[in-house]
Amino acid sequence: MSETILLIADFLFASVRMAAPLTFAGIGESVSETSGILNIGVEGMMLAGAFSCFLVSSLTSSLLLGILAGMLAGLLFGLLHAFITITARQNQTISGLAINFLVLGLTSFFFLVLYGQAATLPHVRTLAAIPIPLLSRIPVIGTAFFSHDILTYMLYIAVIVSTVFLRKTEYGVRLTAIGENPRAADTTGINVVRSRYIASMFNGLMCGLAGTYMMVVLFGFYIENITAGRGYIALAAVTLGRRNPAAIFFVSLLIGLTEGLQFTLQSLGVPVPSQVFSMMPYVVAVLVLLFSIGRSYDPSALGIPYDRNERH
Amino acid sequence: MHISMRNIHKSFFGAPVLVGVDFSIDSGEVHSLLGENGAGKTTLMNILYGLYEKEEGEIAMDGKPVEIHNPADALSIGIGMVHQHFQLVDTLTVSENITLGLREQGYPFPDRKRIDQRIRTLSQQFGLDVHPEKKIRGLSVGERQRVEIMKLLYRSAGILIFDEPTAVLTPPEILSFFDVLKELRKAGKGIVIITHKISEVQMISDRVTVLRDGRRVLQCRLEETDEAALSNAMIGRTLTRPRRQKRTFDPSVPRLELREATVCRRKLNVLDHFDLSMAPGEIVGIAGVDGNGQQELAEAVVGIRKVTSGSVLFDGEDITRNSIIDRMQSGMGYIPADRHHDAILLSMNLKQNLLLKKHLDRQYLKHGFINGRKTDSATKQLIRAFDVKTPSENIRIRYLSGGNQQKFVLARELDSDLRLLVAFQPTRGLDIGATDFIQKQLLALAEKGVSILLISTDLQEIISLSDRISVLYMGKNMGIVDNDENLSIDVLGAMMGGRRHEDLDA
Amino acid sequence: MKTWMHKLVHFVWPVVAVFAVTVLLLLLIGVDLAQAFRGFFYGLFGNTFQIGEIFVKSTPLLLAGLGCSIGFHCGFINLGAEGQLYIGALASSVVAIFLGDLPPAILIPLMFAAGFIAGGIWAFIPGIMKAKYGLSEVIMSIMFNYIAIQLIALSIRTWIKDPDYPFPMSSLFAENACLPLLIPHTRLHIGFFMALVFAALVYLFLWKTARGFQIRACGCNPRASFCVGVNVNRNIILSSLLSGGFAGIAGFVEVAGVQHRLIDGLSSNYGYLAIMVALLGNNHPAGVVVTAVLLGALDIGGLAMQRQAGVPTSLTTVILGIIIVVFLLRNHYSTRMKEA
Repeated sequence: MSETILLIADFLFASVRMAAPLTFAGIGESVSETSGILNIGVEGMMLAGAFSCFLVSSLTSSLLLGILAGMLAGLLFGLLHAFITITARQNQTISGLAINFLVLGLTSFFFLVLYGQAATLPHVRTLAAIPIPLLSRIPVIGTAFFSHDILTYMLYIAVIVSTVFLRKTEYGVRLTAIGENPRAADTTGINVVRSRYIASMFNGLMCGLAGTYMMVVLFGFYIENITAGRGYIALAAVTLGRRNPAAIFFVSLLIGLTEGLQFTLQSLGVPVPSQVFSMMPYVVAVLVLLFSIGRSYDPSALGIPYDRNERH
Repeated sequence: MHISMRNIHKSFFGAPVLVGVDFSIDSGEVHSLLGENGAGKTTLMNILYGLYEKEEGEIAMDGKPVEIHNPADALSIGIGMVHQHFQLVDTLTVSENITLGLREQGYPFPDRKRIDQRIRTLSQQFGLDVHPEKKIRGLSVGERQRVEIMKLLYRSAGILIFDEPTAVLTPPEILSFFDVLKELRKAGKGIVIITHKISEVQMISDRVTVLRDGRRVLQCRLEETDEAALSNAMIGRTLTRPRRQKRTFDPSVPRLELREATVCRRKLNVLDHFDLSMAPGEIVGIAGVDGNGQQELAEAVVGIRKVTSGSVLFDGEDITRNSIIDRMQSGMGYIPADRHHDAILLSMNLKQNLLLKKHLDRQYLKHGFINGRKTDSATKQLIRAFDVKTPSENIRIRYLSGGNQQKFVLARELDSDLRLLVAFQPTRGLDIGATDFIQKQLLALAEKGVSILLISTDLQEIISLSDRISVLYMGKNMGIVDNDENLSIDVLGAMMGGRRHEDLDA
Repeated sequence: MKTWMHKLVHFVWPVVAVFAVTVLLLLLIGVDLAQAFRGFFYGLFGNTFQIGEIFVKSTPLLLAGLGCSIGFHCGFINLGAEGQLYIGALASSVVAIFLGDLPPAILIPLMFAAGFIAGGIWAFIPGIMKAKYGLSEVIMSIMFNYIAIQLIALSIRTWIKDPDYPFPMSSLFAENACLPLLIPHTRLHIGFFMALVFAALVYLFLWKTARGFQIRACGCNPRASFCVGVNVNRNIILSSLLSGGFAGIAGFVEVAGVQHRLIDGLSSNYGYLAIMVALLGNNHPAGVVVTAVLLGALDIGGLAMQRQAGVPTSLTTVILGIIIVVFLLRNHYSTRMKEA
């Protein structure tokens, strides 16, 4: 009996860690989409963050610098996306795809150049676990949620702060207005362009942080294309969670759970193919999209470049 | 507070839009700004609100000159404007919309309770029924308008400008709106209403100013004038009635018949039980100020818009359920008001734009393939016959002048099978040459037996071309009169201002 | 005076930018430039096999690119080409494996048809959602891509798995399910020739038929097309079906012409690359052909550069990313120039 409980606790623990990159990226994306900018380039920005973190922390042996570098890399690509979509008013989808290609190419390129000849892959120190006193003693929940490293605790804070930001502050109200009816926001004196730039850069930063997390918490080493489509799952999570950070965290946990469930079932010898589990988040996202017909939940101006001088 | 505008001049692209106009507004009064489309009323108020820059003239507040370069400046001295198209964010609440852009106490954590309380107080004070917690999405048009008004009151505006405020309101909502205006006036606010509706002017105004062609033609207190004088001032007497033979028509089967045609949008009948009957070869002109349902009428006839109730008959056959392509293939043609959006493919050339109309025409297709030669020769022929000034048929239509584009659009509709042409603002924005040409073409078509439904805000055009004239006001047919020597401009003007024909003295 | 200078700069700066970044990266990694470029060109023209490789690589890009261009003409961004390619490959493989006894003259067209139809169906749902309900096809298409990839992964491990090998892949196709070679001693199969034929057919369709014209009109101004009586929804759905169908054919040629079986990783992002091919080729079949071949050449040259000078193949992905960013920025500045 206690063995099952231990299993469940470990299970949940792993799920939280799986969910973290999705949630970090999801928070960034939900802020960006609320402001009206769709970013398909989440995958690329996560990868950029992962690689930069790996590179800097193995060169400087400082995890902190690595984390900062990862966030910076993400932010820079967020800035690029902002420039292409806001100032140059080009198609947001194409821009996102271009960034994915660019980052995939650059990271693979430099990784091979710098470490292709290396006998062993350099490792990055992973963050130590810091169990929270008292809370981590709670059976099951304590192990699952309160025995993590500092970055995971940052995740909890990020979820809370961003939910409050979007729902309870005037900033959130303004951002919603910009994504819903930028012209109306403009006439009240809100700087639409500046806000969108900031939202996009924040998105990049969070995606970079997601990639960083994968480095310093999940893996501890880097291989080519380590994100392997997690960015796209994050997009699904944002859709499923309707751009609400708390819901996104919950959805990401579920996704993490199904991954964990898959391993557990396989180790128990149950012959459910892993592809079924891998498909799950996407199938559910499609169903949710189909159910949202007639009731559009997307910000009305999502994907549409804003031109103040356009005749309306 | 006394705001005065003196000697205001403004032109757009060289054409004068306001010529030496004076206007003033005081606290505690309702001042209506009356005029037809293009008279300059909205432009004048946009200048006061800082959306446009005046070229000449002064604006003063309580005797002291003020500079207004943008809406923020206007609001800072207490002038606010409620536009025709509301600027609201659907997914936010009333309260959030009202304070959007403001930094209330506690920013960025505004004290919603205090804000909501202030809104409720203002709401009580002015009889403006608004609920701060509701989301805009579910609100009616009347409620949305009240939110827009509340936005201004919250910012302590002393002068409120309304641009065609009743255009989108149902009759009961209009009465509520006037009650609100009375409260605002009692509280000492100055109110300007831009309108073309004489009946409403008479219901609420203290003073009236009439603009025509950019000039002020009348300004007085309401009791000093009457309906006839107002409609006269609005329209003027400079319309020429061309001498034309009164034509006779076959009364048997009407070419086009509308029975109680109604288009309902957001619980408002934008087209309201419209009745009309047109004989073959007849030109019926629909007069009226823009925004009274013209678009819906044109689109209901052609099939772009489905009627909510009522029926459309073509040569006696009920076509209410018919698709656009069916109607076109039965002999209907359409010249839309907005050709860039509704008629032509800007980035394609003339041949392709002709093909757009003929995409199912056997003559232009050979087993599904485009007959290049036919398209080519037909386009060349069209260009010649209609004197469309273009270097070639291969040039993109966006490079043609407006007049030539419109000539092409008309030419494209011409077909041996054409039986009814709906012409919606066919000469708006065109030079004299193109206007003249197109009007002559329309007359020629009618002579050949093509019925023409001419919908235009240009009253001179209506009078020059129509056999009969109907007036569209708030979606309703105000009446239909013969265009003969007994035609009274005053009667037309009154109908355009909201009076039914049968209510007027013969 | 000023305008022709502007035009010149307008054309030249993108090329310079891309070239400069390439050289920069090469220098950064300390590669002998001469050797790298020599390797690149040898990789392209060195021998018949290499030249054949260019066209082998180009074929799926060309086919899927044609499909994406049809979609673009109707205002439909086919982000689902990757998934449609895989589903088309799956359908063709199923026909090849279970009907492998049929003579090639019947079998190959059947496989082709299966690929086309399957790809079309996979594009149908996002297409009809956009046409009827105005639902954005972007997120949905990406989801469908991943579902398709997982379906293939599942299939080659279960019901169409090769019974003779422990690896996840389908059975090897019989000889009569494989596309014959165009040039012996290369991998160049008739698929490339077929793709060229299709490019010509797409041109005829879009520019010479009434239906093709309707599709282009709907992409140009859907409102005006609607007001003139064109059935816009039908055209959007048709363009999505065709777009998916072509991506499906791309899957077909890859399994029938190159791999001769269904495997994981059948496509190295061909579906996403196809979008770029269509864009850079200006959505015109001729442009798509040229761009697909150039991209194929870039890929093969990159492989050779790696063998000869140790330059990572990912350089070509970087170059591609930069080309697209430059393309996007150039769009913006050329619009600005026109308005000025």
